[in-house]
Amino acid sequence: MNYMGEHDIWIQSGRFAVALAFAAALIASITYLMSWMRKDGAALRRAGRAAFMLHAAGVIGTVVILFVAILNHWYELDYVWRHSSNDLPLEYIASCFWEGQEGSFLLWMFWQSVIGLVLIKVAGQWEAGVVGVLSIVQVFLTSMILGVYLGDLHIGSSPFILIRELPENLGLPWTDMVDYLMRVPGFSDGQGLNPLLQNYWMVIHPPTLFLGFALITVPFSYAMAALLNRDYSAWVNDAMPWVFAGVGILGTGVLMGGAWAYEALSFGGFWAWDPVENASLVPWLTLVALGHLMIIERVKRKATTSTLMMAMLTFFLVLYSTFLTRSGILGDSSVHAFVDLGLNGQLLVFLGFFSVLPLGLFLMRWKDMPKSPSEDAFSSREFWMFIGSLTLLLSAAQITFSTSIPVINKLVGPDGMIALLSTELAPPVEPFAHYHSLQIPFAILITTLMAIGPYLRWKSTPWSLFKRITLSGVISLLIASLVVWGLALYTFSYALLIFTSLFAVISNATYWLKYLKDQWTVGAMTISHLGFALILIGAVISNAKKEPISTNSTFIHQDFPSNENLLMPFGDTLSMYPYWVVWTGEHQDGHNRVFDVDFYLEDDSTHRSGTRLKLNKAFTLHPFVQINETMGNVREPSTKHYWDRDIYTYVSYADLRPASVKNAEWAEPMTAIVAKGESILLFNQYLLNCDSIAIDLASFDQFTGDLANLSMRMILRVQDSLGVDHPLDVTYQVEGSSALPGEQVLEDMGLKIRFDGVSDTAGQFKITAWERNPKQDPFILMQAFVFPYINVLWLGCLLLLIGSVLSVAKRIKKLKG
Amino acid sequence: MKRSSIILLLVIALLIGVLVSTIQDASTYASFDMAQKQAPETVTVVAQLDLDSPITFDPQTSMLTFTAIDKDGQSSTVLYNQPKPQDFERSEEITIKGRAGDGQFVAIEILMKCPSKYTEEGGVMADDEASIYTENS
Repeated sequence: MNYMGEHDIWIQSGRFAVALAFAAALIASITYLMSWMRKDGAALRRAGRAAFMLHAAGVIGTVVILFVAILNHWYELDYVWRHSSNDLPLEYIASCFWEGQEGSFLLWMFWQSVIGLVLIKVAGQWEAGVVGVLSIVQVFLTSMILGVYLGDLHIGSSPFILIRELPENLGLPWTDMVDYLMRVPGFSDGQGLNPLLQNYWMVIHPPTLFLGFALITVPFSYAMAALLNRDYSAWVNDAMPWVFAGVGILGTGVLMGGAWAYEALSFGGFWAWDPVENASLVPWLTLVALGHLMIIERVKRKATTSTLMMAMLTFFLVLYSTFLTRSGILGDSSVHAFVDLGLNGQLLVFLGFFSVLPLGLFLMRWKDMPKSPSEDAFSSREFWMFIGSLTLLLSAAQITFSTSIPVINKLVGPDGMIALLSTELAPPVEPFAHYHSLQIPFAILITTLMAIGPYLRWKSTPWSLFKRITLSGVISLLIASLVVWGLALYTFSYALLIFTSLFAVISNATYWLKYLKDQWTVGAMTISHLGFALILIGAVISNAKKEPISTNSTFIHQDFPSNENLLMPFGDTLSMYPYWVVWTGEHQDGHNRVFDVDFYLEDDSTHRSGTRLKLNKAFTLHPFVQINETMGNVREPSTKHYWDRDIYTYVSYADLRPASVKNAEWAEPMTAIVAKGESILLFNQYLLNCDSIAIDLASFDQFTGDLANLSMRMILRVQDSLGVDHPLDVTYQVEGSSALPGEQVLEDMGLKIRFDGVSDTAGQFKITAWERNPKQDPFILMQAFVFPYINVLWLGCLLLLIGSVLSVAKRIKKLKG
Repeated sequence: MKRSSIILLLVIALLIGVLVSTIQDASTYASFDMAQKQAPETVTVVAQLDLDSPITFDPQTSMLTFTAIDKDGQSSTVLYNQPKPQDFERSEEITIKGRAGDGQFVAIEILMKCPSKYTEEGGVMADDEASIYTENS
């Protein structure tokens, strides 16, 4: 049967492209790895290359067809229907693409195929091994979107499945209709994109993050190829540019996630230690550790096993974080995990395959691997670099453990595989206190190492070099004291971290200016270290000194300290130190209900003259609430940026009903049936008694016998909660073809009752009752925070990115030179 | 003993320390009954909103009062001194962090799970099935 309006050829091509990508990746991995193991398999290598190119063509074809489908609103496709809608602005089409699991897997494998193509060009003698291992990863990733049923076994979820093909719709009558797309109104528009994701950050954040993930596959592939061929050290040189590119790009991706949370979500900060955020941070930490181990290995050949191990672990952590965010296991503990698509089994196989096999291979080669014969000197750069990498690993370990609490429950919880715990563990109640208790000491250690690092030398460091940092140390101690005192940041751990971070900043800056003669090309290390230290300084200050300026100080109970929501009646000028604020307007802009809040500062002259308060307008903010019927409303912040601080506000509560409903005199009515002598309950609080019903007049048309005139009267009594009766007398008249229901208002009770005539059952009568809309002055609740010096953090991000770019450039140059 | 062995032991010790601190800091999933017994310890209760009981929000004090039913079927009044979350009534399940007070549960944080956010209950046919059947008949 040919269904009308379906884009059959395209959809079939899409499915073919997925199948092609899968099969070709399988062939590429087999041929490439056979060639790699045999050393002389040039023909096999060419076959592998051809297969990989076919695979890449398949992946790119899949991506293009899915984009075309979303762009043209082909709602017969479940993926398109679920993730897009007609009214979606063009710039968010990309976000629809990767909103679902299938699309984000596709994004990930797209980057890996691009990387594979680049590797074919540049990997030289490593090509067969590296692209071969990468192809195995691609086989697994492609299987996630295969959408094949083998009996009851369900492999992957295809983005090209039609709604009529979904198991729950099979056999429904409409699926037999040739023109179901036109007949069924549900197909005229899609579900739309989650409003949380309708944000430009969501257009750029996922591609960056997934490119970072894809780059991590490269050192893993090199490490595997190295183990397979018993060549344990040479790979490090070639893999290094990829690792530092990964550090820069994944780092940017993670921070973009933070920026998204800060700019568009009312989380009240840029980092919330949310499990999904953590899952992307952890591989970055171990990737940085890997980069440093690789430097040791390249220079001193002293970290062979740990480098290989770290490359495997980092890749494993990417897969683990994928599992955490996509299996639905975080459902209770995170606000933005994916839905469970029923692919958990497959994800676990994926995870198992890439942990057991690499680890097995590693252990098989253990005896064969060169071990460092000598101990590193205490004053050597390699020793402290190694300690730094271990610290990063420990930091990653804590975040992983805490994020894995739902997994721990599944394993050893009361309903788990081995019931060790008597109650289920829940995530820490105070995540900040929990994470900071260990992450701050780790950060203090790392920044100290970063401060000393540039002055350390390989093998051993002469004492004279150490003396050079004393000055930086003294200067940073002075500045740190000033900062701590100026900001009243008297928490010991924070103060110490400020000092060590400043130490890292100043020591790296002086090293770069003085000894590297401010050359950009050799400054990769100092610039990225400086950036990282600035990120920490910005994070500590803006978080520790984040100050709520909106307060509700109404005393309720000692359990409830005054909270951070300012009640703002419309038009009132309220104090929110140092500002005065007024809610001046509200309007609808597309999906958004926008609130205008003016901020005023006191005029300086007011204090001196002692006259009336004079206010000068400082700025206006427009926090808004995105209204979305299907997905739920989202409140979005508005922020005023100054160089040294941000004023961040959002509306935490507002009456979002349309103005016509809000301002109507009467609220939603209720209808009821009454009969003589009976009583009913109105609005759960008034007793309505029907005392009598009388027909005053009834006449019939003498020709037709129809009712011509009717006049009825009902005597009612409304009893209020105190038992006081309020009499009512309503009429109902029919004159010819028109009915005139009568109504009466009980002013003091705020009730209105209308007599709607007879009901279908004899002796019963219909009425409608309204309650007066409570007269309510419009108000909103608003939260406002000051984030001091948050720009230091963004500056640090920028420097870290520049530093990473420089180190990639440096590594590539060294590789060629 | 070699220095590398010492470092290895130190790392292992720290890893164990990290794991222990995680388990110590972790709260527990509890019922309202257990919360009462463990008061004033903070616990996490997974519950459902009782839509038959009044849900009131007083903007003057920004106090939200509602009733929730935990997984054992026991209900408790919950006080939450924060603005009422958007679409609160639509939540399918709520995760409440807090502790038991005098006959009430004092919430510090509420996470809502809305079915509509991620999955659609009826899918495309939810509203349309009826009209199709009448068309066909």
